[in-house]
Amino acid sequence: MPDVSGNNNKGFIRRFLDLPPDSVPKTVFVAVTLCLVASMIVSAAAVALRPVQEINKLRDKQVNILQVAGRYDPAVDITEAFAEFEPHVLELETGEFTDAFDAATFDDRAAADDPATSVALEDDPASIGRKAKFVTVYLLRNDDGSLDKVILPIHGYGLWSTLYGYIALEENANDIYGLQFYSHAETPGLGAEVDNPRWKSLWRGKKLADDSGELLITVAKTAPPEGEDYHVDALAGATLTTVGVDNLVRFWMGEAGYAPFLENVKAGEI
Amino acid sequence: MAQTKRSMLIDPLVDNNPITLQVLGICSALAVTSSLQVSFVMAIAVTFVTAFSSMFISMLRNHIPGAIRIIVQMVIIASLVILVDQVLKAYAYEISKTLSVFVGLIITNCIVMGRAEAFAMKNPPVASFIDGIGNGLGYGLILMLVGFIRELFGSGSLFGLTVLPTINNGGWYLPNGMLLLPPSAFFIIGLLIWAFRTWKPEQVEEREYKIQTVEAH
Amino acid sequence: MGLRNFFDRIEPHFVKGGRYEKLFPVYEMVESFIYTPKTVTTAAPHARSYVDMKRIMTYVVIATIPCILVGLYNVGFQVNSAIAVHGASGWRAFIIEALGIGFDPANPFANFVHGALYFLPIYITTLVVGGIWEVIFATVRGHEVNEGFLVTSMLYALILPPSAPLWQVALGISFGVVIGKEVFGGTGKNFLNPALTGRAFLYFAYPAQMSGDTIWTPVDGFSGATALSIGASDGYQQLAAHGVTWMDAFLGFIQGSIGETSTLACLIGLAFLLLTKIANWRLVVGCLIGMIGFSSLLNLIGSDSNPMFAMPWYWHLVVGGYAFGLAFMVTEPVSASHTNLGRYIYGALIGFMVVMIRVINPAFPEGMMLAILFGNVFAPLIDYFVVQANIKRRAKRNA
Repeated sequence: MPDVSGNNNKGFIRRFLDLPPDSVPKTVFVAVTLCLVASMIVSAAAVALRPVQEINKLRDKQVNILQVAGRYDPAVDITEAFAEFEPHVLELETGEFTDAFDAATFDDRAAADDPATSVALEDDPASIGRKAKFVTVYLLRNDDGSLDKVILPIHGYGLWSTLYGYIALEENANDIYGLQFYSHAETPGLGAEVDNPRWKSLWRGKKLADDSGELLITVAKTAPPEGEDYHVDALAGATLTTVGVDNLVRFWMGEAGYAPFLENVKAGEI
Repeated sequence: MAQTKRSMLIDPLVDNNPITLQVLGICSALAVTSSLQVSFVMAIAVTFVTAFSSMFISMLRNHIPGAIRIIVQMVIIASLVILVDQVLKAYAYEISKTLSVFVGLIITNCIVMGRAEAFAMKNPPVASFIDGIGNGLGYGLILMLVGFIRELFGSGSLFGLTVLPTINNGGWYLPNGMLLLPPSAFFIIGLLIWAFRTWKPEQVEEREYKIQTVEAH
Repeated sequence: MGLRNFFDRIEPHFVKGGRYEKLFPVYEMVESFIYTPKTVTTAAPHARSYVDMKRIMTYVVIATIPCILVGLYNVGFQVNSAIAVHGASGWRAFIIEALGIGFDPANPFANFVHGALYFLPIYITTLVVGGIWEVIFATVRGHEVNEGFLVTSMLYALILPPSAPLWQVALGISFGVVIGKEVFGGTGKNFLNPALTGRAFLYFAYPAQMSGDTIWTPVDGFSGATALSIGASDGYQQLAAHGVTWMDAFLGFIQGSIGETSTLACLIGLAFLLLTKIANWRLVVGCLIGMIGFSSLLNLIGSDSNPMFAMPWYWHLVVGGYAFGLAFMVTEPVSASHTNLGRYIYGALIGFMVVMIRVINPAFPEGMMLAILFGNVFAPLIDYFVVQANIKRRAKRNA
């Protein structure tokens, strides 16, 4: 057979390429080669681009924190601006900072899923299922070292999705400076108006609790009897997202959430 | 092939548009068109994937075994899609957050598979590449048209710049909320198909049946 | 008869070859509105009786009269009651003051007039805008203007909230007529109810203007929830505390769309349609069984967190758009199923879906509109399976 003798002159790959496409060895050869080449390209891209992607993710989070604290300026480098913020890992139950985790790398979402660092909620108005025992909070200080703002992560269920966001409080731990959600999938034009700057600006200057410490803040169509200081207007036409935001803010600002920590801030212990 | 390179590029824009004539790739056309910027990036991504997957598949076409033909095409398309996804995540993070799953779903976009199977398997690489670009642009054209209507009337803006100041932001325009919901793209694409077929009646399909009429008496 | 002569004299101008050939549909519309048409219907809905299509449509419009009357009275009553608290403003108040009628909610005449000042602008806008679309399509396609539009426009106006802005009214009827009917070929070929299609468009496009607490009684500063949204948030047992008794809801003196509030008026209209055999009773029975069956089942299951589970069927009947939809939309012959067995299934599907959407879906307090559109979509499929089952049975019998 002349073919066989001819093969000896060809390289290993050439020999496969010359096989008829539908033969078994050729099929296996094409499949294996293609998978190898494709996986190499894909993993090379993933590895090469990962550092840039990680930076993007981090910057995205930092931008959100900067925005909620009113410190975002597109002209200033984000990393530089963010250096002002002090991250701390907070133990919710005691309301005190803990050194058990590194605040720079602590992953809040992972902590909320891990049974070792979270508890299943019995009373769960924000519909989040499990609550982490530890969360990362951010402090912003004045030049003289006194506390300026506290930025706390919050989340809870709206109509279609879990809303993730931050709330920024003034140094008295009672006045709201701002609220911002960075991840949600609410109805565009209705619930998604939580992103509307005009609605977000309604939060500024509202108070969480009255002098006796009773939590009064509500998000609703009508103001509570205690007055406008504790009332943020509902989102027009988005009843259930409004209820969700109301629930999650009240949950996180309440005893199960940050109340112990806020007490400590008020007592000047932070 | 009797087709010239020029017609390969131009035909899919109107005469043989993948969305309005072949009605392919509707899923992503519904999902991503609520803003022009996102539509634009999606159009580029699909054009890129269609062009290069067609080219690579065409280069390999004489070696691809019939038995695993579809899988081979899928592997090539999927690799390109992952590549696009990674690049977007690295260099256009904001947009990649909105596009998220839809970039991944380019893999299942019928236009890509359709061109690979119908054209690239039978034609040389350069022609396949141009054909891929043409079809990607045809898809992109419709995406941009739908995105234009949806963003302008749904949010009062174009490419994120305010054109009609909305009431929520202190203006006068009351945005049409339905246009922000994906199903609205069904109506817009339907109306576009209507417009295209009125313009080019040769695109109208033949009736599958004849409506019976009764003579007046 | 002078008028007949007039029509006969001008007709040659409009028939093929005449000077105004393109405007024949307009001529035909006016002529056949006054005289019995010369031609017979060529497409569904078919009627095998002396009652031609034009008369069917006229009967449906007649059947809505009780709803219109109660609607006018109730809109005026609600507005006048709110004005007693919040004060009057706007051009309507100006007209009423100029006429010296006053805003006394105890005066039925004042209520009617005030209600009419809300209803008529909406209805006239609907007629004009929808009519223009009808004439455009009739002219381009060369068929006659369909009188079904009279029904569509009346139903559409009655299911809108009295505060609906007129430009939205115009947009909605345009969508309903063009997308709901004309793209499928016009009257008799539409598988969706055009009035509901237009309403659904507005519901999704401008939810703030189509649902909520401030739209049902258009007086500044007034806020009043519909019985359904009270039921969804507080439970139906609390309705009385909000001043809504079952009898109020049955008679129609509650917050709601213009013509939908009165169950009694809808039932009178339904009785008329059933007596004249325009409405098919199987659709009605199916829809009642579906609604009563599923809501009773939910009553049995119960729920701690969702008060709507406990709402009994006789409340479902009187709140929201159930009665209106049952009387005028479920029974609409074109978009419903055409087989007898299919009609039961179609009705039951709608009845089931209404309760499903009202009770279980968190986003929409009212479900009748969506349930009927859903039923519309399934009607041809139901017919198909009924016919196939029939064919199979006969084939077996004759095998």
